[in-house]
Amino acid sequence: MALQGVEQTILRDPALFYWIVFPITVVMILTGILRHYATVLMNNPPKPASTLAESRERLGLIRGVNLRNNSSVLSKESFEMRKNYLVSAYQSGAFLKDPASRGQPPANPMTDPAGMEAMMGMMKGNMMMMIPQTLIMSWINAFFSGFVILKLPFPLTIRFKSMLQSGVMTRDLDVRWVSSLSWYFLNLFGLQSVFGFILGSDNAANHMASQMASMNPAAGINPFQPGQDPDKLYQSEAENLEVIEHFCILDGVEERVLAHYAGRKSY
Amino acid sequence: MQTTPEPHLANGSNLITTFHLAQKAPLILKRQSSSVETVAPSSLRGIENYGVVEQLLFSCLQSGDDKSALLCTEQLAARFGMTDERIIGLRGMYEEAVAENPTRLEECLQTYDLALSENPVNLPVLKRRIALLRSLSRPVDAISSLINLLDAVPTDAEAWCELADLYHSQGMSSQAAFCLEEALLIVPNSWNIHAFLGEILYSGACASETTECSQLLEVSIHHFSRSIELCTDYLRGFYGLVSATSLLSRNRRLMDHSRDSSPAQASPLTDKLLDELTLFARSRLDEIVRSRSSDHQAWKDNQGELIAAKELLHRLDKSPL
Repeated sequence: MALQGVEQTILRDPALFYWIVFPITVVMILTGILRHYATVLMNNPPKPASTLAESRERLGLIRGVNLRNNSSVLSKESFEMRKNYLVSAYQSGAFLKDPASRGQPPANPMTDPAGMEAMMGMMKGNMMMMIPQTLIMSWINAFFSGFVILKLPFPLTIRFKSMLQSGVMTRDLDVRWVSSLSWYFLNLFGLQSVFGFILGSDNAANHMASQMASMNPAAGINPFQPGQDPDKLYQSEAENLEVIEHFCILDGVEERVLAHYAGRKSY
Repeated sequence: MQTTPEPHLANGSNLITTFHLAQKAPLILKRQSSSVETVAPSSLRGIENYGVVEQLLFSCLQSGDDKSALLCTEQLAARFGMTDERIIGLRGMYEEAVAENPTRLEECLQTYDLALSENPVNLPVLKRRIALLRSLSRPVDAISSLINLLDAVPTDAEAWCELADLYHSQGMSSQAAFCLEEALLIVPNSWNIHAFLGEILYSGACASETTECSQLLEVSIHHFSRSIELCTDYLRGFYGLVSATSLLSRNRRLMDHSRDSSPAQASPLTDKLLDELTLFARSRLDEIVRSRSSDHQAWKDNQGELIAAKELLHRLDKSPL
């Protein structure tokens, strides 16, 4: 173990900064920008619904989500009426594009051309992430592996060792030393705000955003992922609607308004 | 609808401002066309400018400047292509505006039907078609097409509001109220829709029996109150609140007289609360009217509403509760 209380010193060539830290950072920023533009170039917008029935199938689900989220603007009777209508429509599959194929296993997304296209889109996005990362990581491994390039100005606990010193197999080295491979990882995760500054907040270099987007179904125009069975989503939405606890925001609104103004000034 | 400003919902847009805007059209169009030639079209400024051109088109059409309107549509078509959904809708609107006789309008309708047969979910054209049906005074057709549209696109608050307006124009206030509730589910915090719903319920109450009338008025007061809770100096909301509360308290007094021993009111809106609310709404409306009348320049676009509010206050002062 390193001696307690004794500052570890490593004599570093100052050229390390110019030849390793600086190039890695610049390359990371440039690839981020390049990836952004490549994604924009290759990305084709999601296809809008081509028939009214398709649009109905997609938006019918969002209508239920809206009712669930904003039910408080309705009175009790209006809410119950809408809830009963939507639940029975969801359960009987009234919103489905073709009700005849209900209950059958969903078409294989590999054979369905529309699903295939969406899959390709996702794959392209993933490839845009994977390929540059693999290339840069192998580049760093080949040229800079094992270099200790930075010393953090503050002490850290031993747990950070695996994060800051990957590629350097020295047990005794103080945690404050940062290896080149770790500098790459720090850049990979830490440059989001730099990209946000250069490219705007909704940039495609930000891979976290793209991952989040695929998890949130209500955000896009099409709430259904390829290969997903709309009927299943409808059934679960019907269950969500049934258990909802309704309150009406219009109850006692007069008292609220009066109290609000009475608090500010006498009228 | 997307392309026609809703008279009930448009706040602060009137013919005078539209006209002033449209007078600037030749200037803006000239600058636009010169900038297209000199500056590379890829600049970000261009995107914003096309939004301006679209707005300008609406103002020009409203103020009768058809030449500039045509220029606007040409610029937009040059950028986005003639087959773009929105461009088809805008061109259609221009054609409708310059049509001299009903037969030309019928031709427009046929153009829309043709465009819809190519792409059945061309929303701008679908909406234009409904608006055209309405202006051809075929409200029943317009309502049925709008219902078809809403069946496919139930998340369009504009369309729900338009349907409510159509129903209201046909005197079907309960249907109109239903549509506005649907719109509220999509945009729960829009105070203008709350106030509009209050207005619909109020006009429904005026046309119905006494007991039902009181119930409708109470719901209407709820919505007006919610509207002013969301927007604290919304003139329309206060106007409606004053009208609804004074009518309701008059009704209750009449009922007390006729029945002598009235049963205990089961509604949460007690007489005391109602009186308090009436008083509050009137003083607040008075305050808003006074402050806006003194600041004439800033509110000159809303003179119509102000005059109506003054009229209401005057009428209420003359006939004490």
